[in-house]
Amino acid sequence: MAWSKAFVRFRYHYLPDHVIGELLAKRWMDNLIPFASLVLVIAIFYPFVPDLFAAGQLSNLGRQFAEFGLVTLGLAIVMLSGGIDLSVGSVFAVSVLVGLICVNVWELPIWQAFIAVIAVGAGCGLINGFAIGYLRLRAFLTTLVTLVIFRSLYEFVIIDYSTAIVANMVDSDLWDFLGVGAVAGVPFSLIITLTIAFIWHIVLSRMRPGWRLQAVGGARRSAYNAGINVRRTVCGAYVWSGLLTALAGFLFAARLGSTGSDTGVGLEIQALTAVVLGGISLGGGRGSVAKAAMGSIFVLILTNSLITLGIGGAVSSLILGVVLIVAVYVDVRWLKNRHKLLNKVYVSPTYAGLGPAMDTSANSASPFAVNDKLRNVEIIGCGLIEGPEDVILDREGNLYCGNRHGDIIRFSGPDFADPEVIAHVGGHPLGLAFDPTGNLLVCIGGMGLYQVSPDRVVSKLTDETNRSLFSVIDDSRLRLADDLDVAPDGRVFFSEATIRYEMHDWAVDALESRGNGRIICYDPRTGRTRTEIRGLVFPNGICMASDGQSFFFAESWACRVSRYWFDGPKKGQVERVLENLPGYPDNINRASDGCYWVALLGMRSPALDVALRRPGFRRRMARRVAQDNWIFPNINTGCVAKFSEQGEILESLWDLGGENHPMITSMREHKGYLYLGGIYNNRIGRYRIPGADPNWCSLDDRGSPT
Amino acid sequence: MISAVRRSLDRFLGRGEASITVPVMDGPFRPNSLLETAPVLRELPDIDNIVRFAGDLLCSCGDSLVRLPEEPSGESQIMDRLPAPVTCLASGSGDALAVGLDGKGILIRGGKHDGLFIGTANGQPLNCPSASFFVDDDTLVVANGSAHRPMADWKADLMDLGSSGSVLRIDLPTGNAKCLASGLAFPNGLALAMDGAVIVTEAWHHRILRIGNATPTVLAENLPGYPGRIVRASSGGYWLAFFAVRNQLIEFVLRERAYCREMMEAVPSQYWIAPDLRSGGSFSEPLQGGAVKQMGILKPWAPTRSYGLVVRCDESMRVVSSYHSRAGGRMHGVTALCDDSGGVLVAVKGDGKIVRLSETGKALS
Repeated sequence: MAWSKAFVRFRYHYLPDHVIGELLAKRWMDNLIPFASLVLVIAIFYPFVPDLFAAGQLSNLGRQFAEFGLVTLGLAIVMLSGGIDLSVGSVFAVSVLVGLICVNVWELPIWQAFIAVIAVGAGCGLINGFAIGYLRLRAFLTTLVTLVIFRSLYEFVIIDYSTAIVANMVDSDLWDFLGVGAVAGVPFSLIITLTIAFIWHIVLSRMRPGWRLQAVGGARRSAYNAGINVRRTVCGAYVWSGLLTALAGFLFAARLGSTGSDTGVGLEIQALTAVVLGGISLGGGRGSVAKAAMGSIFVLILTNSLITLGIGGAVSSLILGVVLIVAVYVDVRWLKNRHKLLNKVYVSPTYAGLGPAMDTSANSASPFAVNDKLRNVEIIGCGLIEGPEDVILDREGNLYCGNRHGDIIRFSGPDFADPEVIAHVGGHPLGLAFDPTGNLLVCIGGMGLYQVSPDRVVSKLTDETNRSLFSVIDDSRLRLADDLDVAPDGRVFFSEATIRYEMHDWAVDALESRGNGRIICYDPRTGRTRTEIRGLVFPNGICMASDGQSFFFAESWACRVSRYWFDGPKKGQVERVLENLPGYPDNINRASDGCYWVALLGMRSPALDVALRRPGFRRRMARRVAQDNWIFPNINTGCVAKFSEQGEILESLWDLGGENHPMITSMREHKGYLYLGGIYNNRIGRYRIPGADPNWCSLDDRGSPT
Repeated sequence: MISAVRRSLDRFLGRGEASITVPVMDGPFRPNSLLETAPVLRELPDIDNIVRFAGDLLCSCGDSLVRLPEEPSGESQIMDRLPAPVTCLASGSGDALAVGLDGKGILIRGGKHDGLFIGTANGQPLNCPSASFFVDDDTLVVANGSAHRPMADWKADLMDLGSSGSVLRIDLPTGNAKCLASGLAFPNGLALAMDGAVIVTEAWHHRILRIGNATPTVLAENLPGYPGRIVRASSGGYWLAFFAVRNQLIEFVLRERAYCREMMEAVPSQYWIAPDLRSGGSFSEPLQGGAVKQMGILKPWAPTRSYGLVVRCDESMRVVSSYHSRAGGRMHGVTALCDDSGGVLVAVKGDGKIVRLSETGKALS
């Protein structure tokens, strides 16, 4: 038994299974299937095909890829826009023919021939694009018809010119260089194609026209509503397809210098297989240049290998067809199930054994013995405010808090009657602190660290930090800035509770109980943001200690409070202050007697404590049970406790039934009263602290070097 | 071999036996607040059973028998105290009364067999008498919920997937018992059908069985809760009480044997992830995500471990209408019913109340 427990702990400590979900959440994971198929096809054919990767073969493959890749890229662009272009094969044939006629028969200069071919290709594309984009014809039928028409034109023309093309071989260095030339061993045509592919990669991934193209393909109506010229975008996609295909034909003409009745026949099926296999969705809107390239290489290796093995054209086509069907199937299944899979595997709990909780029974001598001291708290703003996670008061006695609509609200003292929205920031404002110059600093869940100045100007202090070297998830963005405090030198230390969940899912992080959080330091003097401590279990409240060189921080799901020295001789050290708390600590603030208040946002339940020692149980629960039914930390009841700097709990304040003041996430002492906030509450509580200093204001009691 | 493979595959994929789908409360089970708002006749902490006895109502609260005059103003009086908590009550003709004693057996008071105590039947201890009724003066039908545990440990029986219950027909003059059915998963309610067959509710299997002369047949199954007591309605059909409703998390825990065992060892039973007659009283109880209070309000459709549910069934045990007290309600844990012309008296053990429900007027077919 002990052995199996030790094994579980070891396994969850060293096997990072949360990475699977993070990898699946990446957009580039879509490339996994085409890449795996490519590796597979190489693995299959490598033993059978002699010199698959010999230098000559590679150069040949490179030239083929230069032409085929351009055709595939053109088709990929059309499919990204939500259409399909079946006429690529015919356009290719027509372009080859035009190129050869211009160069061989009419003996035009190469650049003129080039312009002619490109113009013909773009013209063919324009016919498609006009019919589909502006006349709104069906892409499939239209391009099927143009496939036949362009092919017929090709058949007409080639009868008159076939002998002339073969008879007049032109002698042009440029023409030869285009066809068989190489720069540093790399075929010239391949360089052209790679350059174009790179430009298109930039366009599609980083530029406005590319985004518009994918927007049109992904959701035509939404794109229209967003003000995108859908018709022109669609038409443009076909023009580009014709243009790139024509360029491919031109290169082909330069390489072979002849054309036959089978030029371009079946090219559309090959290109379609390549594109779909690459993972470019038939439905439009999803795809990339890299995918098209991987698909093309796959198809080329497959067809070349089949030819080398002496397998006939008919069988080869059959195999290609089967591959296409399989690719379409995988595309559909992947698209449909990826998010389901992600939902199932993203939550990845780890071993989190907690020590026995401190006693809370009412008649025990424990400082956490339940009581009803908070039963009669005064209520401020009941029903006027939603979700005040933290509260703070200024020297004049005005109360500030955030709400779940993203406002910063002020209740004017001393009666706190009328709430007034002093600023709208967005997100969910959480921890609050005043800096020495009177600006209100706010940690905003979902956004970062913001500042509201006394004249109500909102400005962003920081929303990103340095990215960790080995994190799969992009942890440079702040997802859940939680609580903060300001050091005597002006540096702001704030906690980010988790990097794996968004604001509205914060409680799901409890199910994982992994060290997903961190503490970050923002230095207003340099404007730099650096991560200070990593791997904390839901770091939450932060409060400067009296020495001005350290702060206390709470780790909610680990039920402990620690102290960290950011300066002085103990710089960089962490010491545990409170452990095995009976609940989950949230915000920490100073008390008038030199001690500290800590809010427990919820209480531990023994059944959950057992589950925390069983990560497999929680993982299966996350997969099978609906989220509303998951076991959660009990955040319907909370309490406030006071502890000394030495880590001794002095007292606790409860509202057991939670009738007057359910859940407490923060508290702030001000002039003899304790003000209570709660993230799911619609009120603020005010409790008179017996014997507290009636003139004490937390702003005047900053931690300062003694 | 194949079935073993299929079972492990099912467990991996959460299908078949491992599936934890819970029937939704829809159709005749559509939630309302009829039970929640029903008029409270009496408040009696720990009330468990309720029967008509010699013109009055007789209840049990823990180990005491309490007599309630019919008019609400009348004082309730403790009639007797028994050596163990009372688990079930049945009244026969005259002043005959069968009293189930937890962990002990059945005691007959009054009538022909006054003072008779039945502690064993067929050599098996009658340690969990969960329901009984008189067929005639000399014959008693008793359900023994579990062969191993007393009634007080019903939660442990559920979490252990207990199916050791039985239904016995006892001939009082001789003490001979005939086993009508055995291997039942906590039979908790008995009723006599029109044709003389015995109707049994099988709580842990969420179904209702009919025991005639041949093997038991299933009258209703896949119910959304744990069926408890059932009584015949004078206007035809049955009243059926559910002492708790099913919950996806609990169904899941029941299939996670290792976790379930560790929880039963390490955690006091009131804090288990298990159904209960009353929940929400302590912060040590498990909380489910949907039951987090938002702006101070618990949603009535939140997942809950306790619930109040009484349903009206027709002769063929089809549910016709239902009476609910939903999450956060004050009428949870219905353990006993007593027909009351045109309505039913309901003992709400979880909240210690007796309420009266009236027929909703829907036609019974």
